[in-house]
Order: sequence, then C-alpha cells, then structure tokens
Amino acid sequence: MTTQQTLPQPAADRPGGEEALPTPKAPRARRLGVPEPAYDPSAPEDVTILPVGSPATVRSYVRALLRRHRRTFALLIVVNSIAVIASMAGPQLLGGVVDDLAAGARELHLGRIVALFGVALLVQTVFTQQVRLRSAVLGEEILADLREDFLVRSVGLPPSVLERAGTGDLLSRITTDIDRLADAMRKAVPQLAVGLVWTVLLIGALCVTAPPLALAVLIAVPVLLTGCRWYFRRAPHAYRAEAAGYAAVAAALAETVDAGRTVEAHRLGARRIALSERRIAEWTAWERRTMWLRTVLFPAVSLSNMLIMGGVLLLGGAFVLQGWISVGQLTTGALLAQMLVEPVGLILRWYDELQVAQVSLARLVGVREIEPDSTADGRPPHGKDVRASDVRFGYHADVDVLHGVSLEVAPGSRVALVGPSGASKSTLGRLLAGIYGPRRGAVTLGGAHLSEMPTEEVRRHVALVNQEHHVFVGSLRDNLRLARPDAQDAELWAALGAVDADGWATSLPDGLDSEVGSGGLTVTPAQAQQIALARLVLADPHTLVLDEATSLLDPRAARHLERSLAQVLEGRTVIAIAHRLHTAHDADVIAVVENGRISELGSHDALVAADGPYAALWRSWHG
Amino acid sequence: MQIRDLPYLDPGDPDVRSGFRLLVWLGRKQLGGQLKALAWGILHLASIASFPAVAGLAVNAMVDRSGRGLAWAGAAMAAVTVTVTLGETMLHRVAITNWITAAARVQQLLARRTAALGATLTRRVAAGEVVAVSTGDIERIGWCVEAVSRFSAALLTTIGVCGALAVYQPRLGLLACAGMVALALTVLPLLPRATRRADAQREKAGRATELAADTVAGLRVLRGIGGEQLFLDRYRKASQDVRRAAVRTARMWSFIEALQVALPGLLLIAVVWYGARLALDGHIAVGELVTVYGAISFLLLPLQLFGEFAMSYSFSRPSAARAARVLALRRSGEQNGAAQNAPGAEPANTAFAGAGPTAPASAASRTRPGPGTTQTGAGPAKAFRDGDLRSPDSRHGAPPGLYDPATGLHAPSGLLTAVVCGDPDAAGHLAERLGGHPPSAPDPLLGTEHEPGRATGASPGAEDADGRPAQVSVLLDGAPLDGMPLEEARTAVLVQDKDPVLLSGTLADLFDVPSSGAVGTDEALAAAQCGDVLDALVQGSPDAEGDPMRARVTERGRSLSGGQRQRLALARSLLTDPDVLVLDEPTSAVDSHTEARIARELARLRAGRTTVVFSSSPLLLDRADRVVFVHEERAVAAGTHRELLRSQSVYRAVVTREPQTATPPRTTVRSARPHTEEVESA
Repeated sequence: MTTQQTLPQPAADRPGGEEALPTPKAPRARRLGVPEPAYDPSAPEDVTILPVGSPATVRSYVRALLRRHRRTFALLIVVNSIAVIASMAGPQLLGGVVDDLAAGARELHLGRIVALFGVALLVQTVFTQQVRLRSAVLGEEILADLREDFLVRSVGLPPSVLERAGTGDLLSRITTDIDRLADAMRKAVPQLAVGLVWTVLLIGALCVTAPPLALAVLIAVPVLLTGCRWYFRRAPHAYRAEAAGYAAVAAALAETVDAGRTVEAHRLGARRIALSERRIAEWTAWERRTMWLRTVLFPAVSLSNMLIMGGVLLLGGAFVLQGWISVGQLTTGALLAQMLVEPVGLILRWYDELQVAQVSLARLVGVREIEPDSTADGRPPHGKDVRASDVRFGYHADVDVLHGVSLEVAPGSRVALVGPSGASKSTLGRLLAGIYGPRRGAVTLGGAHLSEMPTEEVRRHVALVNQEHHVFVGSLRDNLRLARPDAQDAELWAALGAVDADGWATSLPDGLDSEVGSGGLTVTPAQAQQIALARLVLADPHTLVLDEATSLLDPRAARHLERSLAQVLEGRTVIAIAHRLHTAHDADVIAVVENGRISELGSHDALVAADGPYAALWRSWHG
Repeated sequence: MQIRDLPYLDPGDPDVRSGFRLLVWLGRKQLGGQLKALAWGILHLASIASFPAVAGLAVNAMVDRSGRGLAWAGAAMAAVTVTVTLGETMLHRVAITNWITAAARVQQLLARRTAALGATLTRRVAAGEVVAVSTGDIERIGWCVEAVSRFSAALLTTIGVCGALAVYQPRLGLLACAGMVALALTVLPLLPRATRRADAQREKAGRATELAADTVAGLRVLRGIGGEQLFLDRYRKASQDVRRAAVRTARMWSFIEALQVALPGLLLIAVVWYGARLALDGHIAVGELVTVYGAISFLLLPLQLFGEFAMSYSFSRPSAARAARVLALRRSGEQNGAAQNAPGAEPANTAFAGAGPTAPASAASRTRPGPGTTQTGAGPAKAFRDGDLRSPDSRHGAPPGLYDPATGLHAPSGLLTAVVCGDPDAAGHLAERLGGHPPSAPDPLLGTEHEPGRATGASPGAEDADGRPAQVSVLLDGAPLDGMPLEEARTAVLVQDKDPVLLSGTLADLFDVPSSGAVGTDEALAAAQCGDVLDALVQGSPDAEGDPMRARVTERGRSLSGGQRQRLALARSLLTDPDVLVLDEPTSAVDSHTEARIARELARLRAGRTTVVFSSSPLLLDRADRVVFVHEERAVAAGTHRELLRSQSVYRAVVTREPQTATPPRTTVRSARPHTEEVESA
C-alpha cells in the first residue's frame, strides 16, 4: 500500500528547474550584480497560434490611436503647461525677495508679493487638478478604445481560425495583455507627456532666469544618460519576465485549487507545493534581477539630481561672487533645479512601463492581421441538399486527412458518421458545416460553394452543434436572443418549450431575466444543453451537423435530452457524428469513416446484413 | 532574509484570527528587515531634509561674499549627495525585499493550505477566494507590511524637522508644525472615499474583463449561431462603465492632489510672508529664509508617505481579512483552527446515524453478506447509530474488497466490478464515497452541504430525507475507510471522478504521480488507447522534437478534445495502479470503437486488482466480471451484464436506452428483489 513518494524531477527542458535555483552563488562571488536568471517565464511555452503584430502595424495603430484622441491630448498638454508655469511663480517671487533683502531693502511690497503668490497658487491648484483629471480621461479613452477594438476584431474572426486555434490564445490576450496595457495607457502615456512638458518648461525657465545656470544642468546629463542607457537596455525584458513569473505563481496555485479533487485523489499535494515553491523561486530570481537594475539606476539618477542642484548652487555661487548673476537669480535657479527632480523621475518611472506594454500591444494588434477567409460574392444556394464531392482536406500543407470523400445528403434525411477516433469524422463534419473549405473537391449547399459564403449567410442554413454548450454570463434572455436578436419573449418561451426546458425556466426567480453563467445561477450541464438546443430552434437552420452533441452527458440526462433533441431535429437535415451506436441505428444512412475515407455506406439493416466492421461493432454493443 | 534565499523552508504558522493580526504577524516575522528599512529611511529623509540647510549656507555665503563659506557649502553638498544616494538606494532595496518576502511567504502559506484542503476546495466560493488572494491581495498585503517602516521613518523625520525648525525659529517652527497637522488631517478623511471609488472601479473592470473573457470563450457558439452584435454592445456598455468609473475615481484623486498643492502652498505663502518680515527686521539672515522655505517644501515628501501608508492600509485591510479567512480554512476533521467545535468536524470515524425514517439500509441486520448485494429496506443500522464501527460485518469478517454498507454495493477483491446507476448525480456521490473521507460531507466552513450545481433545482428530492448515507463509512476489507488517515485511504483507493483535471505541464509532468511502479507509462498509455492523443500533442508542440513525453498539455487540457482528455486521465489512473481503482464514467466521451478496445485493455491490465467502473456502456459492462445495478441508492441486483439484461427490465432500459415499459420504477425494484437473491446465490 505504501508507494514511492518522489519529488518532481525538474524537467530537462526547463533550466529553471531546482538545481539552477535559487542562487547562482558562484557568479555572484566573481562579480558584482545579478545576471539574468536562466529561466524566462515570459518566453511563450505554447506555440502562439494567432499572429503577433509587426512593429509597422503597431506603429501605425498607435498613430491612428493618437490621432483619434488628439483633442484630449492637446488639452492635457495645455492644462499641464499652465500648471507648471504657475508653479514657477514661487521661486521667482522668492528670488525677488532675496534680491531685495540682499540689497538691504527697507520696504518690500509684501502685500503685492503675497497676492501674486496667492493667485499663482490658485491657478496651480486648479490646473493641477485638471491635469490629473485630463490624464485619466485620456488614458481611459485610449484603453477603452483598445479593448473594444480588440473584441470587435475577435468576434469577426473566421470560424475556421477559431476551430483551429481554439480560444485560449485570444482569452489570454483579452485578459492578461489588456491588464498589462491598463497601467501603461492609464498612467504611462499621460504621465510621460506631463513629465516631458514639465522638464522642458523648467529647463526653459532656468535658461530665461539665469542662462549661465543652465550649464549646471549640462554637467548632469552625461551621468543620467549613461545610467539610463544601461538600464533601459535591460529593464523591459526583466520586468516582463518578472510579471510573467508572478503570474505563473498565481497560475500554479489557481490550478491546484481548480484541480482540488484530482490533486487529492492522486496525492499530488506535496508535488503541488513543490511546484508553487519552484515558481516562487523563479519569480523572485527576476525580482532580484530588477532590483539590481534599479540599484544601478537609482544612484545614477540621484547623483545627477544632486549634481544639478549642487552645480546650480556652487557654479551659481561662483557666478554671484563674480557678479554675473544676482543672489535672487541664484535662489530662483536653485529652487527650479530642485523642482526638476520630480518630472525626471516621472519620465524614468513610466518609460520602461511603456516598453513593457509594447509587447502586449503587438499581441492585441496582431489579431487585425488575420484575413477573413471567405469571399463574400458566393452564389446564394438554390435548395437544401448538401453534397461533398471528392473532398480532400488537411490541416497542414501536403498532409491530407480526408482523401477524396464523396457524400450526398438529401434534404430531411439523417446521416450518421461512425468510426474510430482519429478517423477524421469531425473534420468531415466541419467541412459539411462550411467551417473549413476543402483543399480539393467541393462542398456545396443547394449548388453553392459553402466555403465561399460569408459566415453570416452559412449559419442561416447550417449549424454545427458540438459539446460546447457555453452559457454566457448574462440573462437567460440574452443567452437565447443571440440566435435571433429581434425575438419576442413569447418566441423565447416557445423555444424553451420545444426543448422541454420551460419547466425549470419558469421556476427561475426572475424568469428570462435571471442571470446565468459564471457568477450567476448555476445551470446543470443538461440545462446548458437545453439552452443550446433552444438557440437552435430560434436560429432555425434547415441542416444540422451534430458532433458529440450529447456524449459528455450522463445517460439519464442524455435520454431526457434526446427527446428534446428529437423535437429540434424534426423536419431538418441531420448529419450526426455518432459516438454511440444507438444514434446510428436510427439514421437513414450510416457512413463508416476510417482513415479519412468512407469505408461503408448504407442503412443500419443493410450494414448489419453486410457483416462488415459496423456489424461487428453493433453486436458487441447490443449484446 | 534575502530574496535569493526564497522560498522559505518553513513559512511558519500564521496568526489568522483576523486580517489585522495577520498583518502584524507578517511584520513581526521580518522585524529585522523592518528595522533596517527604518534606519535607511531615516538616513534618506534626513539627508534630503538637510539639503535646504546647505542651500541656506550657500546663499548666506554669497550674501556675505565669502568664497570660503561657499567652499564649505560645496563640501556639505557633496556629503549630502552621498548620503541621499546611499539612503535612497538602500531603502529601496530593503523595502522591496520586505515586500517580496512577505508576498512570497503568503504565497507559500496559500500553496500549503490549498494542498491540504484538496477536494474540499472544489466549492466555488472558497476556490474563488483563494485565487483572489493569490492574484490581487498578496501584493497589497506586501505593500502595507513594507510601507510601515517607511511611514515610521517619515514620521520620525517630520518630527525631527519640525522640532529643529521650532528650536531654530520657534514661531516659524510652530507654524510649520500646525500646518503639517492640518494638512494630514484634511487629506486623510478623503482617502476612504477615494479607495471606495477605486474598489467600485475595480469591480466594474473585473466585470468587463469577465464579459470579454466570457464572450471570447463562447466565440465559437457566437460565430456558429449569431449574436455578435448583441454581445459587442453589451461589452461596449461595460467597458464605458469602467471608463466612467475610472474617471470618477480620478476626479477624487485629482481633488486630493489639488489639496496637496494648495495647502502646502498656503503654508509656504505664510512662511514667506512671515519670514520675509523677520528678515526685513534683521531677525534672520536671508539664507535662513531660503532654508525655511526649503524645509517646508521638503515636508511635502513625508506628507506623501503618510498618504501612501494610509492608502496602503485602507487597500490592504480587506485583502488581509480575506487572506486570513482563506488561511483559516480547514477540512472537516482536520485538527486545527476554528473547525474543531463545528458540528461536521468531529473526528472522521464518528459515524452519523442521522437518517430519517427511510434510514440507509446497511448490512447490520445481515449475519453474513455473501459477495453480493444486500437486500433493500432492512432496518436502520443500529450498530452505526451507536457510533460503533465494529459492526456485525467486521466481527464476522466483512467481505474482502470494497463494501458500502449504505447501498450494499460490494466490489470483491481482485475483480472488475461495473456499477450501473440510473441517477448520474447519485453515481457521482457514491463513487466519491467509495474513496472514504468524502469531500462533499457537510462542512461548516465552506457553507452549505449542497453542491453548487443544485441551484436551479434540476433533480429534486433524491437526497433530502435519506441524503446522508455518506456518513456511514465504506469498508475496505472490513476496515472503515473514513477511520483511516486521509493519506492512507487515498493510497489504498483511487477515485477518478467524472471530470478529472489534467494539470498543465509536459506529458512527463502529467504522469509524474505517486504510483506503485508496477505499471509503466507506455503500458498505461497503450491500454487507454492514447496513440492518437500523443500524435496530436507532438504536432502541437514543435519544441518537443517528436518526443511525446516532452509535449505540453495546456491548462485543463483545453487543446485536446473531451475524449482525448478522458483517455489521458485514465492512463494516469492506470499508471498509479492503486489497490482499488474507482472510475466514474471514464469513457463517456470516447467513441464506441475505441471504448471497446479500452474495455478489453482495462480488464487485462487490472486483472487480479480491485476495480470499480461506473458506466452504462454495454461495451464496458460486457467486460466486467460482475455488474451491480444500483437503483434509488440501493444495490438491487448483481450478476454479469448478460444475466442482468435478461432478468432486469429496469437495468435493460437504463443500459440500452430503450424506452421503459409503463411500470413505475419503484414497483419494478420491489418486484425485482427475488431476482436479486437468485443472482446472489448463483
């Protein structure tokens, strides 16, 4: 009963495995600093299936985005300039006071100075508030544009792309990448604009107040530039890896939670803890790396700040002693130099955020590069018969999985496709539903090529029903109405009634308005399937391709559902990919698919009589 | 503690009585780091604070036309530069280290807790909380724990600067102090409102993300049937809601920011006005006026730190409370924390007798149940009601193998037993119970005892009055499984539920499970007919270079079809090779051709081992040594598939899905009882 408990072996292909962590102590002894950890969590582990935008696409997209928001942007710049100029009143006035005092003045017009100061402060206060607000307005508008634009593109993707790529990649783009962009758009873009305007104005003011003092700023520039250059070459990648590492820590935990039953049944607890700790080690290795990068950058920035201030003060002091500038000018200059610290910090703080965000932006924009795969000028169908003639098809170039399949489906008839896994039954079903276009041969509906019709046209005639019974977050009404957006409540109830779902639907607390889907009322798998079937009733296509439609269901639920299904199928052409032989039994024609070819074709009785593979299977099934 | 030493060997035993106590505990765990941060923070702020004094020195030197004074000011400037730079950099390093180590510690605690909770966490509310803590809360907790030391440093420096000002120029100093207090007091009351708005905004953003993710997840449905515009409009609305809420939050912050400009500005004006008059009267030097001006400007910095700390605390308080709640979760029966005095949490081997009038039938009244099923409608389990697990069964030698007294289901040692159960939910519960320590037992901490799927009342009534047979432990070779330690029970019996999860990683990772070692990976994969799955995986991961064990399985195996996932999960269970293997509908999504082959291989691979398969597929049933038909929570018949097909009309109806004859099920069962006896004696 005791079994061996071994700790998970670090996978050979993952250099972040245990031996490599947590400390690369040897290199540390030799040289100062933290080199990049070997394992990079931000390197994609799965092949990215959908394209990533090219730099040119990203650039043109950003340009378009800025053009669209140029008014908000311009307003922000104006408001910000006014706030900055107002903020410089204090140093100017103080400089004047100092000059007067140094000159030994007896009378100071203090009332006038305080009044000016007060007015400047009022302006600064009002406009600072506006800067903050306008920044948010700009950032939020851009962000909303980005995410809405992405979803618009996503829902327009050709079904063939979705079938092939699945929705995982899209899902991670709309959650993770949008999240990463949020901070960049919300803060980095406006703050960078603010910081740049601020810096330029301050340096300008310094030049105007006391031109020789601007020299002091020049002293600091090489230090700052060297430090920043070093830092920004390394930082974006490191921050990206760090964020991905942290996300991996959370993902490992979320998976343990999600797989609670499996983890307990297989006694994987210790392994999951070890995995979490490995992820923590991988993540914190990158935290160390970024901390080291900042350990270099901070002194460089701090040093250049102090160089500016010290330079202004000392050089300025020397100039004052030489009589080139006044003490008041120096005071103003020194205070302006002190004010420079903040915008420079702002620029440095948000610049790398923007670089990190670029990658996410490229992933979002990449979806725009997918071409719609159907040409909209196909002929409209005349009739309801579906016909495949000598169809060849493959997912990869040169590798066909269907080898010359021909099949005729008469309107109103029922065809069952049976055969072993991997025989390409589902692929054939998808071709017949117009999702894929054949490489050679043709799939036609009423004489028109299905693959040349736009998706919106195809689905008026043919629907693919698979195991995916997604119940959308929202009301039951929304979940049904998607099939026919103009449907009245009475029609919705009729559709529910047609699939025997009106019973439980009536007992819902808010009827059609009840919130279902994740976060709302939980519907059972059987109810989800009934919702899917009710949608079909509303969409009312004349031909249905059923793929494993009831296979994931428990037998009793399935039996009940089959009654609902039977009512939906009534009067329609049905092509069923049958995993269960009793479905095949009732079909008018059974096609046995093996290795991408139809090996047997005929009615149930004919095939049993022929005593081929189908007959053998039927005997073992039926006993 | 340095970051390079993470993760902790032992993250410790947290104080989870409340969120605040958790924060305090975390802070105390890194007291050294906190003190270091405090020291560097004081150095940093004090250096910055001394800059105005240096500037004042320089101005004075110039007013006095003293080159020597200017040189002194230069030297002081250099010293300040060094200490500011050093203080800032070191403070940052220590503060980040505190933050990261606190976050890592909580992550580790969470990982340990989730592993211990295991199946108990499948309930949605608790699971969602754990994920929320891990993704968002930990960062805020780390922030708050880390900000304490910087806040303390700011507080100390502010007091120092105000004190110095007060000593230097009592009236100016007092003015500054009063101004600071006023500033702190005006901004603080606004913070809770701002954080509330931020929370509302986050909630809306979460909702929008959820809608987007949901729309994308159901995109194939949308593209297949329509409704894109409907969902786009809905998302646009949610997205614009987020935008508006964010601008609303920003408006609040913008007012706070404006206040932070206006109030110190007023203070500055007052200082300049007052200071200039002092200077005019010759009470202070011109340089000193510059110093005071600079000092007041400096005080803005600690003021920001106060604001930040207040913000981090108000953000992290709910986060810490949630973290404490999650870390306090316990399995029923786990001897720790608050679970002890809760009703469902008594030691696991205390059996409940709490059944209604239709008490669960048990073997109690039978002297020696043969390797077959029990009769239905027997009297209540007296022995169990007394809490005595040494039931007549054990005394007289319980049947070898797995035996469930509640239903009378018996899976003899070394045989392949198939179970046909009309009600899929009941089958799930029964399968779960067969493993002992059923995770869906009433659990006071995780809320109700009903599964989430019940909300819409799909199948009424099945487990109301007599829904508690779960409290009678299943016996393995006569020993109650619930009485064994959890680990031992799970080792002895592996229950593969209806929806086994494939954990992400390479295929090698997936099959890295504790096992007996008797069954090889290749053997298990072959038996579960995984050939085409391996091909698909290799095609999907070019990095694997043709080696399927290096191919990656994505989260929950989403890149695979339902049937492919089922077969991989089955292969994993076969590899584990437990003494008793319970499979719930292991091939429901597999086509008949493949299922037939799996049935054959399963029987061959598990020959001589105890196996229980819940299924209604004739292909599997036909391979079983023995089929038990469970109806209405009782095992009503047993025999081979063909025997049952002949003798049991209800069974026949369930298995072949032929429409059942008009007889209501209950009557059928009653009349079926004689057959049961026959089968048993056969």
